Amino acid sequence: MDLTETVRISVRSLQSHRLRAALTVVGIVIGIAAVVTFATFGASLKADVVSEIEGSSANELYLVATERDESGFGDVGQPVFTEYDLAQVRDIEGVQQVVPRGLVPVSALTSGNRTVARRQVTATNATAFERATFDDGRAFRNGAEEAVVNVPGARLFPGNLSAGDSLTITLASGERRTVTVVGVVNGTGGQLPFSSFSDQPRVFLPADPFYNSVVESPNAVANQRVYPQLTVVTDPGDTTATKERVREYFASSRSDAAALIPDGYEVTAQTNADLVERIERIVSRLTRFVTGIAVIALVVGAVGIANIMLVSVTERTREIGIMKAVGARSRDVMELFLVESVLLGAFGALLGVPLGIAGGWVATRYAEIPLTLAPGWAAVAVVVGVLVGVVAGLYPAWRAARVDPIDALRYE
Amino acid sequence: MTDATDAAEAGAAGPGADTADPVVALTDVTKTYEGGATVEALSNVTLTLEAGSYTAVMGPSGSGKSTLLKLVGGLDTPTDGTVELDGQDLAALSEAERARVRGRTVGFVFQTFNLMPRLTAVENVALPLVFQGWDRAERRDRAERLLAQVDLGDRLDHQPTELSGGQRQRVAIARALAADPALLLADEPTGNVDTETGARIMDRFERLHDAGNTILLVTHERHIAEHADHIVHVRDGEIEGTESLSTTDAAGGI
Repeated sequence: MDLTETVRISVRSLQSHRLRAALTVVGIVIGIAAVVTFATFGASLKADVVSEIEGSSANELYLVATERDESGFGDVGQPVFTEYDLAQVRDIEGVQQVVPRGLVPVSALTSGNRTVARRQVTATNATAFERATFDDGRAFRNGAEEAVVNVPGARLFPGNLSAGDSLTITLASGERRTVTVVGVVNGTGGQLPFSSFSDQPRVFLPADPFYNSVVESPNAVANQRVYPQLTVVTDPGDTTATKERVREYFASSRSDAAALIPDGYEVTAQTNADLVERIERIVSRLTRFVTGIAVIALVVGAVGIANIMLVSVTERTREIGIMKAVGARSRDVMELFLVESVLLGAFGALLGVPLGIAGGWVATRYAEIPLTLAPGWAAVAVVVGVLVGVVAGLYPAWRAARVDPIDALRYE
Repeated sequence: MTDATDAAEAGAAGPGADTADPVVALTDVTKTYEGGATVEALSNVTLTLEAGSYTAVMGPSGSGKSTLLKLVGGLDTPTDGTVELDGQDLAALSEAERARVRGRTVGFVFQTFNLMPRLTAVENVALPLVFQGWDRAERRDRAERLLAQVDLGDRLDHQPTELSGGQRQRVAIARALAADPALLLADEPTGNVDTETGARIMDRFERLHDAGNTILLVTHERHIAEHADHIVHVRDGEIEGTESLSTTDAAGGI
């Protein structure tokens, strides 16, 4: 039996039960649309997050001392990097700059007659701003009573902070220090990992004189500031090799960190690429999980097809008998019913993909991220629709093929 | 092959030896159905239908008529014995091959017409040709000619629901002839039409017989069976006897 004839007869029988066929297709449309919606949203989310992180330069290493097997991101880490280590790392081949970061516990910030509660501010040094862009003013000088805020930080106060404003910091100890805001840094500043990502308000103070975590450096044999985080800027194109050298330094007993680090902890050095990969993995895993849930809807749709096809086989027992009597093989009958269920599945997929993309668009609008299409998923959805048709149609078609023609023809 | 029926031997013997090959040859056919108890629907039936013969099978319901019909039509295979259709042993064929032979060799006409409800008259007639692999234009052409022969040339694109009972049966007859089969198999063809229409349908079979078609008619009505050359009486799964009618002499003149 040639395929065009099979398709023609199948279409004819679907047309004779329009409402039933339409409702069955709706089941598949919902399933496919749900899958495509979540896949599109996941792809958009991933693209958005990755583009934000990739905005900062690729030749940076983030060093932090965390428990072994922990992520190394999102954790402040233990203070193990001394001034001695900073100087040593700066001399490692391929390293351009080393920027330390520490947290200064505070209780409040006051500007003018407005006081806002704040748990901590970031202590770093002037090198942190060497490649940053300022909306206003400049970087602070090390050792000066100055502060830099980022744009969200400036917005903590009515009328926004700007260069020249004075800011009173109430330290956790209760001591009050007044500094001059000298710059408002744009969030995408190169050497401020995560700043653009999280867009949290930040206030930066020079480590000297505000950061007071000190320890006796085992190598320098002197009290030194000790930081929980380092950002190492490497020569462009040499990040991987430099990362190895830095890691080697911290793994060796030459470093203060190796002496200070608690058992079970380790210094991790991660690049932007590591971070991107990691987040991509997390988002992909989430997307797969949610999409997996959507697949349930698709399975329900498939059950709907199988159900309606079984009804159809029963109703058309006589037609099957006729076809067999006039020379149809079981295979021909099976084909006819398979084509019918595949048509239902494929039709559902074709309608479901645009609906799913529309759903993805709505979701991205709601989440305020740009829409990224996942054309691979759309193609997969159509293939899946066809496969669902095949799988759901197999058993009914097999039943149809087994119909005994004479009994079928006697059947009134 | 000359046993059991005293078919049109006079006409078949002599010069055209190969034309004497029977269209259907059942040899010692037994058919049992397993289903809880074993039921013997046919036992040791031997029946030969010569080319050009017109045979009626008569018997009460449950006599094994429909089983005989299934076997002759190639819709089922015997438990024992052989069924040869147009010279081919059906038991030796696969299901798919049997379907092809059936489509090419047998034309069915049913009591309830059994037309495909959503296909037009012309599509119904062309349906057997679909399975024989004819292309679309050829199928339509042949179906149109056959419908014209049964005086339905003006009803080509009507669906069965738009046709009367007699018209539907004529479509069914046209369909049975589509693949130019060796055997026409009619199962109570007049059972669902009024007497007058029934008579016209029997006329049509008469003419098909005159044109050289081999016909097997299954019925329980004596006056319908009498249209045939001979009547095979079936009871309790066995052939009770074969009755030759006077028209046999006329048929001998073919």
